[in-house]
Formats: sequence, C-alpha cells, structure tokens
Amino acid sequence: MAEDILMDIKRDYVLSRIRSGERIDGRGFDEFRQISVQTGIIEKAEGSALVKLGNTQVIVGIKMQVGEPFPDTPEKGIIITNSELVPLASPTFEPGPPDENSVELARVVDRGIRESEAVNLEELCIEEGEKVWVIFIDIHALDDDGNLMDASAIAAISALMNTTVPAEKFEVGEDFRLPVQDIPISVTSLIVDDYSLVDPCRDEMSVGNNLITITSDKNGNVVAMQKSGSYLLSEEKFYEVLELSVAKAEEVRKQVVSQINQGDKDGENEES
Amino acid sequence: MRKIVMPGDLIAKNPRAAGYGTYVEKGKVYAKFLGLLDKTDTSVRVIPLKGRYIPSSGDVVIGIVREVTANGWIVDIYSPYQAFLPVLEYPENAMRNKKVNEVLDIGDAIIGKVLSIDPKMKVTLTMKDKVCKPVRVGRIVAINPARVPRVIGKKGSMIKMLKSELGIQIVVGQNGLIWINGDRRKVSIAEEAIYIIEEEAHTEGLTDRITEFIKKKKGELENAET
Amino acid sequence: MQKPKLIVDGKRLDGRGFEELRPIKIEAGVLKRADGSCYLEMGKNKIIAAVYGPREVHPRHLQDPSKAVIRYRYNMAPFSVEERKKPGPDRRSVEISKVSREALEPVIMKELFPRSGIDVFVEVLQADAGTRTACLNAASVALIDAGVAMRGMVTSVAVAKVEGNIVLDPMKEEDNYGEADVPIAFLIRNDRIESIALLQMDGRLTLEEMKKAMELAKKGAMQIYRLQREAIMKKYMKEETEEPEEENEQ
Repeated sequence: MAEDILMDIKRDYVLSRIRSGERIDGRGFDEFRQISVQTGIIEKAEGSALVKLGNTQVIVGIKMQVGEPFPDTPEKGIIITNSELVPLASPTFEPGPPDENSVELARVVDRGIRESEAVNLEELCIEEGEKVWVIFIDIHALDDDGNLMDASAIAAISALMNTTVPAEKFEVGEDFRLPVQDIPISVTSLIVDDYSLVDPCRDEMSVGNNLITITSDKNGNVVAMQKSGSYLLSEEKFYEVLELSVAKAEEVRKQVVSQINQGDKDGENEES
Repeated sequence: MRKIVMPGDLIAKNPRAAGYGTYVEKGKVYAKFLGLLDKTDTSVRVIPLKGRYIPSSGDVVIGIVREVTANGWIVDIYSPYQAFLPVLEYPENAMRNKKVNEVLDIGDAIIGKVLSIDPKMKVTLTMKDKVCKPVRVGRIVAINPARVPRVIGKKGSMIKMLKSELGIQIVVGQNGLIWINGDRRKVSIAEEAIYIIEEEAHTEGLTDRITEFIKKKKGELENAET
Repeated sequence: MQKPKLIVDGKRLDGRGFEELRPIKIEAGVLKRADGSCYLEMGKNKIIAAVYGPREVHPRHLQDPSKAVIRYRYNMAPFSVEERKKPGPDRRSVEISKVSREALEPVIMKELFPRSGIDVFVEVLQADAGTRTACLNAASVALIDAGVAMRGMVTSVAVAKVEGNIVLDPMKEEDNYGEADVPIAFLIRNDRIESIALLQMDGRLTLEEMKKAMELAKKGAMQIYRLQREAIMKKYMKEETEEPEEENEQ
C-alpha cells in the first residue's frame, strides 16, 4: 500500500519531466541504462550470468540434463525457460506460484532465444528420438528497478554463451561449449502519451506499464514482439518503436559481447 | 424503424447534441453501447437493447434486503451495486418503537426509490415516497432491465392497459423487477403478458397483441367460472 | 517429421490465396445465462465466449473504487486438440489471457462501472491455429451483445510468413512450419482501424516483411469486423422493427 502511494507521488513528477522532453535520470529517450554483464558466477550451474541494467539485477542460471526429445523434433535439444519473481526483488512481489507477469517474462525471453535459433539445437541431439540435451534457463530476479524483461533477456543469452554442456557428468562423451550462434537482444519501450522511452526504470513505470518489447537477431530481423499492458498503440508509434528497437539492439549486443569478452579475458589473466 | 448502432459508430458531428449512450472524442459523437439510435436535429442518444441495470437517482426499484445493520439495510437491487437504505430514510411513524430488523428483515422485498449515488457508485435508497413500501403480498417477476420501457409503454400506455383490464396493482422497477398484486389468476395472466412483452419487446403492434392476449385469457377465466 | 510443402502454385494447402481468410461463422447471443455471448468458427476453430457483468466483485478487496475490474479467461477444452490437454490453465493460457485482457481493457469503458467486475470467459472447443485471435473476436461480439459500453470493436487476426510469403490467417500446418507468426488485434471504430490493441510475434521477419504483415492484417481485420457486425445485427434485426417507446410514467 505504502508503495502505491509513493508511486502516485512520483507519477506527476515523472510525467511533467517527460512532457518537457526529459527523463528523471537525465537519459535520452532512446538511451539504455548502464549495462553490466558478469558470467560464470555460479559454479554449480552449467552456465550463469548476472546482469545489471542500472539498478535492476537479474541472475540467470543454466542447468542441463539428458532427456527425451519432443516427438515432433526427435533430433533436437530442448529449451525450457522459467522465471521466478522472488519477493526479495520487490515489495510488490508475493511468494507463491508464478503469476501472469512472471509467466509472460519467461515466455517472451524464451521466444527470443528460440526464434533467433540462438542455440544450435541439432548439435544437442545425443541419440535421435531417444536422448537429447535439455537446457533449463532459470531467470531469477534480484532487484526490480524496472525493465526486468531486457535484463532477463541479456542475462539469458549471456548465461547460454557461458554454458558448458556437462557431457562427462552424464557419461555421454566429452564436455563441450554450448553451440550459441546468435545473440537476440530485446528492447523494451514504455509508451507515454506520444513518447516512447527505452529501458524504463521503476520510477518511470509509475506513469503506467504500457510496454512493448521487440527482440531482434544479429542480422536485424525481428524475432519476437510483445505488446504488454492495457493500452492502445498507434500504428505510427509502432513503426517508430520497431525501427528504433532494432537499431538499439545492435548497440546493446555490442556492449554485451564486449563485456563478456572482457570478463573472459580477466578470468584468463587470473588463472595464469 | 430505428437504426441499430454499435459501440464506436459515429452518430453525430455536433458534440452539444450528445446525449445518453454516447461519448464524445475530438468533437465527434460515437455510440457507447449496442442500441437504437434516437436522433433529432438537436439531440442524439442511444437506447440500450441489453445490459445490466445501472442505478440512477429518482429510479423506482424493487429490491431484496440482504443484510440488516444498526443504522439501515443493505438491499440487493439486481445491479452491480448493492444499495443502502438508511433507517432515517424509512417513514418515522412506521419505525416507532421497533428494532431495525422488525421493520425489515433479511429476505424482505421492498419498493424503494434511488435517493442518491456518489461517484464511487454507493447507492442510497429512500422509502419516503408514496410509491415506496415493503412488499409482503403479490408476486415479483424479473425481466431484462433494457425491456422495462416496453413494459411501461408510451406514456405508460402498456402498464395502464394491464392494470385496468385485469384490475390489479403493478409497480415496475427500473431494475427489471416488477411487482404484481391482486387476484391470483389475474396476476398469472399479467405475468405471462410481461414475459411476452420482454420476449417480443420491439416487434410491431405489440400493445394491440397484448391487449388481445389479455382479453382472450380473461374470457377463458370467465368461461371457467360459469 | 518431414516438413510438408505448404505452398504449391501460389496456393496454400487448403486452396486459399495468400490474402484470404479461412471461412468464418459468427453467431451472437447463443447462451441463455450469460449477459452476452458468441459462438465463432474460424477454419476448424470452434470458440464460445460468454460475458458476465458488470456485476459485483467478490471478495471485496479485488474491487477497484475507480473502475470495473476486467477478467479474461482463455481456456482450452481437454478434447479440443489431438492429444488430450490437461484441464486448467497452463503457462500458454495464462499469457494469452493476459495479453487478450490487456487488448480489451482500454476499449471497455471501465470507469463507468466502479467497483464492479466484467468477466469474459472464452472456451476453445476445437483448436485449429490462431485460437487467441478467434477468441478475441468472439469475446468482442459477446461484450457488445452484453450491452457493455465500449469505444469500438476489437478485431483480431494473425499473419504468418510461410515459405517466404506473407500470408493471412495461418492454418495449423502453416503455424507449425511457417517462419513467423504475428497475432494482432485492432480497435476498429466506425469502419476505421484506430489502433493496435494486441501485438505479439515469434519467428523471423525483416522490417519490410513486418510492415507488409501489418498491412495484410489490417485488410483481414476489416473483413472480420464486418462479419462481427453482421452477426450482432442478425440477432437484433429480427427484434427491432418498431419505434421503441420509452416514456416512464406509471
């Protein structure tokens, strides 16, 4: 309740700033917050990543198992994405089974990875029709300061890039790097009046949760979209956001890749 | 024959003409719900064909007491909103020396009037009107509230005809509940007639057909008696 | 399983052209108890929608003092698909219910009915492809049939990319093996597409293809919109032949 009142107070302030062409944290309307990616932070997981988007923090862990393929794709591995909005991450999250927001988050992240064919699932077939690798992508929000969606999507692909397939543990050959062949990046925008703000922070969300997420692959194709929130979107706005999102994704992708490479280099230096 | 309009249909370009069942956006008048278009040079409105009863002050309604509190009664008026009838809105002489639940108890039916509605749709009823009373005899029938104007008829013609032909009391609640009292057999004829009106609400020559129906039924009654 | 050839000589597996809808049948007011209802077929989809309300919301803490609370439940009958579906909501249904509700919420005039609830229940009796769009079309008709105040009609259709072609209203095989699927819903008012109420996409499309998909969806939606209106008209036309009388004297 107290949380709601705080949001109401913020609302007018945020709105007036937006209408005068500014964001409360001084960012441009098309500007992401600072992105930080750390991979390999959970040793027990096959792959992991902690992503910070400003103050928003999400951890994704990858676990892998050997399982049966789906009957219609006997020669392909399986991806299963789940998300848990644990009460630790926000005063508005409640314990209990995943609610619709949590389900939506997981499914939109999953769609981006699946549709961009980020993971080469054919290479995860152990024995056609019998045994394939199952990848569990578990999204664990730690601090929801807005835009868990993009933070989770970055964390998911980063964790996948960090994943080693534990073949030795399951006695099906030698361990190998998970074959990742694309880096889908989602860009979420908050729609306020005629404005759109990429990567909204929590305070900006006080004006509403009219969001649209557009995920694109490394070639600039759109691979997933989700309008989320009770609002009507004009066609002009949609096209504007669509083009901006694809362009922004390219920038974010570069940052993510360079951070992961930097991390790998640091890791190597430590080892030596 | 009036035109049927649907939500979002553009029905006028003069926002000052906008009446019931319309909404105005950027100076244009649109229909708000499914209904019949009633348009003149100076006014445009939509007469609903369907829908729940939404109370409006001054409406006569029939309701059932659901709860008794220290200072009044919570009354179900068959709308999304329950109504409150404060003790102070009950005629003083009938309240004298009685406990609240001795005046009206859970399950009792009343004919009341909507006194006021606040912006949060808290509905207050009054019994201080000559049409209002607790209902302890007779029968209550329920119809679609959008059909109520038909049961009443043009300038009350339908209801007047039912009352005079059958010699019974009828009170029509705007919420679609109708109280009928009098000779049991004639009440049954009225009830049947009301259901026909509801079913065929907008067909041609309805008043004539109902008059004919009542005369026929009355004739059957008289024949049975002789 | 071998991917079948989906387009032969410019025709789709069911003989349709790229810009053609499946056969659609819509009937308004098919249920007695509900305030509004609709039965809809779109290809082999068989959908039934019911609307209850505005009505009281229980428990009371779920009420909103400033507007009606909208609930939308998309549900697939266990027998609606080849392999029996476990009853009850799965993650897919939860997501579909959410985005569908969010498509209707800004169109329904919720603020007119504070503290009340409007429930939209949609059952998929038989699923082909595009159930969420078919359900939304049925729900919209049921809402209008219930007399609920709305800004206009919500009409939904999917567009897909199949063997490099942008096609309207994909059928099951096209949905399974196509390169992209884009379900969209529009607010249509006075025969004009006003805005986008629902938008999802999965698959792979270039920006150009995305624009083409949008244009095709608009074309398809206008056709469905006319059928939705016709269905409502058909139900009420037979009743409305005389001037209504609405004097309230008693």
